[in-house]
Amino acid sequence: MRGRFLVVSMILAVTYDLWAFVSENREELVDGLVNTLKVAALGIAGAFVIGVVLGAARAHRVPILSQFTVGYVELIRNTPILVQIFMLFYALPQFGIVFDGFTVAWLSVMIWGGAFNSENFRAGFEAVPHRYHEAAAALGFGRLAIFLNVTLPIGGRIALPSSINTYISVLKNTSLMIVIGFAELTTTSLNISNLTLETTESLTVLACVYLTLVWGLSALIRLLESRLALPETR
Amino acid sequence: MSTSARTSTSPAPDRKLRRALAAGLALVVGGLAVIFWRAIQDSDWAEPVVHYIIFDGLPGTLKVSAAAVVGSALIGIVFGTLLTIKFLPLQGVIRLYIEVFRGLPILVTVFVVYFGLPSVSPGLEFGALTATSIALILWGSAQVAEATRGAVASIPREQHEAASALGFGWVGRHGFVILPQALRRLLPPFVSLLVNILQNSTLAQVIGGLEMLEAAERQNERVTAIPPIGLGEIKAFQIFGFVMLLFFLISFPLTRLAARLEKRLV
Repeated sequence: MRGRFLVVSMILAVTYDLWAFVSENREELVDGLVNTLKVAALGIAGAFVIGVVLGAARAHRVPILSQFTVGYVELIRNTPILVQIFMLFYALPQFGIVFDGFTVAWLSVMIWGGAFNSENFRAGFEAVPHRYHEAAAALGFGRLAIFLNVTLPIGGRIALPSSINTYISVLKNTSLMIVIGFAELTTTSLNISNLTLETTESLTVLACVYLTLVWGLSALIRLLESRLALPETR
Repeated sequence: MSTSARTSTSPAPDRKLRRALAAGLALVVGGLAVIFWRAIQDSDWAEPVVHYIIFDGLPGTLKVSAAAVVGSALIGIVFGTLLTIKFLPLQGVIRLYIEVFRGLPILVTVFVVYFGLPSVSPGLEFGALTATSIALILWGSAQVAEATRGAVASIPREQHEAASALGFGWVGRHGFVILPQALRRLLPPFVSLLVNILQNSTLAQVIGGLEMLEAAERQNERVTAIPPIGLGEIKAFQIFGFVMLLFFLISFPLTRLAARLEKRLV
């Protein structure tokens, strides 16, 4: 009885502090969260488009595009994303190309996610059984029609689990934008912690928000995955 | 003829294409290396920059990565093996550990270790490189634990039963019979983990730990400064490009190795 009272009062004490912290800095934190979500949404949408287009180009051996894709994927996969962000933010101005923080933020996670995603979709498209293509060709479908009606719906679903992991990584990588000072969630809460010296509170809130986002996103998409699963694998 | 017809049938053009691509890639990387080498020899600003990145930055990167790989492997294998025991409280604790450290961005874990722990207790204050290693171990061990659980679970039941019949206890059964077989299957994910850890060691830059990216950033600032100190010119593309090239030269063989191991062992 006494032990339980102690635990409850400890939880109350800790959470009371957190609530006070959150309500004092609510506006900044919400702005940071919105910025994080904006960057992540743009990055995920872009990574999806890049992934489908370049993945299809590689699976179908489109002459120049597929060679370009190999180079692009290997370059992005084998170098740290932090160096890529530095290149976009510090090196491009050397050639007169200046981006603001927000553009660098979504562009860098989009380029990074696109590289991983094109590999996911390539594997998915290549896993579509050959007999389906033949069936579609026998029905008189053209090449583009076969891709849009057969390869994309089936291969896309095969690629879904691995591409979800890429989207989650894109969301997590938005935290790296602290190096360019873009005011997303991590930058905001580190700034608050520097001003108020409430380090424990701000880091706890930061970790809780990220875990909620990541766990929520993966739970949501697992649900989607089971709804979209191919009949033969269900 | 439809192009899609070629995707999954004949392996011969696939191998040819891959060889051509590898040759092209080698050519591009080699060309870049030559260009960088020429640039270093032609200019007097580049020599100290390269020297600093390689002799002050690279050791930091390697130290952080080595500590992180060894730590994650040891902790991850133990946690992953314990996770196969059907004892709910233990499974719950390890599950939580895995989900938390895989769910957090590694940068946030770095901040928790570097800024959060000292504010909880002053004894837990670490240098930037050590803090990054600890954060990478927390993340990496979660990855390894998940992979080990799968690998241990994939060893057939008969192996457990045979080991028990020979009189092994739980520790001996796992240490001498199950884990040696499971480790073979863990080799490809280990190589990928090594690549990931090498790349994520750049996170030390954010908290000022001296590794390759931080070395490059310091040199970039120095070179950009007004003449008596630096050049007064931006050379960021060359400097960060050099770091990119170094990371590529280290990671590319490793990712190839991981892909090859995966094909051979599975």
